[in-house]
Amino acid sequence: MTNELVRMENINKFFGRVQALNDVSLSVRRNEIVGLLGDNGAGKSTLIKILSGALTADSGSIYINDQRADIRSTTDAIKYGIETIYQDSALVPQLSIARNLFLGREPIKGPRFLNRMDQKTMNEVARRLLKEVGISKDIPPNTPISSLSGGERQAVAIARALHFESNLIILDEPTNNLGVEETHGVLRFVRNARDSGHSCIFIAHNIYHVFQVVDRIVVLRRGKKVADDIDPKKTTIEQVEKIITGLAEVPA
Amino acid sequence: MELRSLLQRFIARPEFGPFILLAGEITVFTLLSPAFLSPGNITNLLAFTPELGMIALGMTVLMTSGEFDLSVGSVFGFTPVVMWTLYNTGAAPLELGFLIAISIAVIIGFINGWFVTKLKIPSFLVTLGMLLVIRGTALYITDGFPQARWSSDSPLLKIIVGEFTIGQIRVYASMVWFIIFAIVLGYVLTQSKAGNWIQASGGNASSALARGVRVARTKIMLFILTAVMAAFAGIASSIRVSTANPNSGTGYELEVIAMVVIGGTALNGGRGTIIGTLIGVLILRFMRNGIVLVGVPGLAYNIFIGSIILGMMALHSWLERRHHAGT
Repeated sequence: MTNELVRMENINKFFGRVQALNDVSLSVRRNEIVGLLGDNGAGKSTLIKILSGALTADSGSIYINDQRADIRSTTDAIKYGIETIYQDSALVPQLSIARNLFLGREPIKGPRFLNRMDQKTMNEVARRLLKEVGISKDIPPNTPISSLSGGERQAVAIARALHFESNLIILDEPTNNLGVEETHGVLRFVRNARDSGHSCIFIAHNIYHVFQVVDRIVVLRRGKKVADDIDPKKTTIEQVEKIITGLAEVPA
Repeated sequence: MELRSLLQRFIARPEFGPFILLAGEITVFTLLSPAFLSPGNITNLLAFTPELGMIALGMTVLMTSGEFDLSVGSVFGFTPVVMWTLYNTGAAPLELGFLIAISIAVIIGFINGWFVTKLKIPSFLVTLGMLLVIRGTALYITDGFPQARWSSDSPLLKIIVGEFTIGQIRVYASMVWFIIFAIVLGYVLTQSKAGNWIQASGGNASSALARGVRVARTKIMLFILTAVMAAFAGIASSIRVSTANPNSGTGYELEVIAMVVIGGTALNGGRGTIIGTLIGVLILRFMRNGIVLVGVPGLAYNIFIGSIILGMMALHSWLERRHHAGT
């Protein structure tokens, strides 16, 4: 058995005549945090959306635990243990924290046909999870998301990924629009997630944040993978920036 | 202290504004016209309320999911025409005619939902088109004449709109149906998993989808529900007034949407309240009845309705902004 959790092979994706991804392959090992970097329009988000089921690739294949995985929808991806935390944190602003945490996987109480949500359990779990991700303020779990700050929202999304035992957590720009303290919270979470046996793909514009937590850096440029195995401990930020913009080639 | 926090919770609810408006309305009409709360007038008020009210209930859940349906008025007119035409021509017994009429509503709702979710056409355009198709069909198959010459002793008639009296007030069975539907939909919206999906579909469809919520299926089901409610209401109405007019229900779609938004349901989805809709239905029904009783010309009705809508929207938006001021 190899140590690979996810392997995407030769992924191609067109939007009309624009080729967003050109034969991109990406693999993530167990307990590994991969930083995915690239300029705007490099194809990072497209690649991630294909893995999380929001888009389907035009060609190419995905393997999870060395098994061919057929990811056609976000539901499929969740079944394979892939949790995605999007830029807009993918919460429903009108719904409460507890309802958001369990959205799509609400626990049911009583006879099935009554379809009744177990709101008591939902609230209890929500209260506990919020503590775990470092919200010390006492926020009632029935508070709507719309009255939370950006960092608190991100924390809710993270709590959700933590709670539903996922193998791979994809963080798409999780530190955007966050304050200093909140950013530290997110980075701390990513390290904790690795320690507790999760793998992560971390996408951020801010290279400094990426350098602080990832094990390996992958760079996309104009839909192509230009670097796959950059070790943040042996490379400088300036070198990586040059690779992203295309001013330098990948060191051999 | 306890009482005060209870009062604050009550004031913070979205139904609070409409509730005060309803209370004020009843007070004003009662003071101006003693006949307003007479048994005869209450009978009168309750006769028509469940018919528009049932459509409003369906519309509330549909609007919570972020869509609305302009074809309800024409479904209200068309389905009873189908039922009575089948019966009058001897093509089917009344019960079968009823089932066929409801099935047609299911199909209409499905087509609306399919166009909106699969072809991604805004519900305004889809249901506007459907409104014209249905109304046109109703006029075409009846040549524009009401279906009126029937006599039937089917128990179905009693079940749907049988009359009974409470004290001096006469109530139709449709009122009971209305209350049952309100309780069921209120439960679905606030307590059930389906309700969570409905609110999520209207609040942020793409993130709901990302969580595995079947947004399209949820919306299609709600379009079907709304059309069936409109059909049931139309059939109840046709039995009560003993005529199925292909033109009946014209303009109901807007009156129903007005009732729903006055009650506090958001026009663009994500937030809906059945209790608010009940209040909204009563506000508009009482207004229509009351201004005639106090001597305002009936033709001025729309002036009041329009003003109430504008006033309530201003109130809701003010409350919304105050609510988010801290973030």
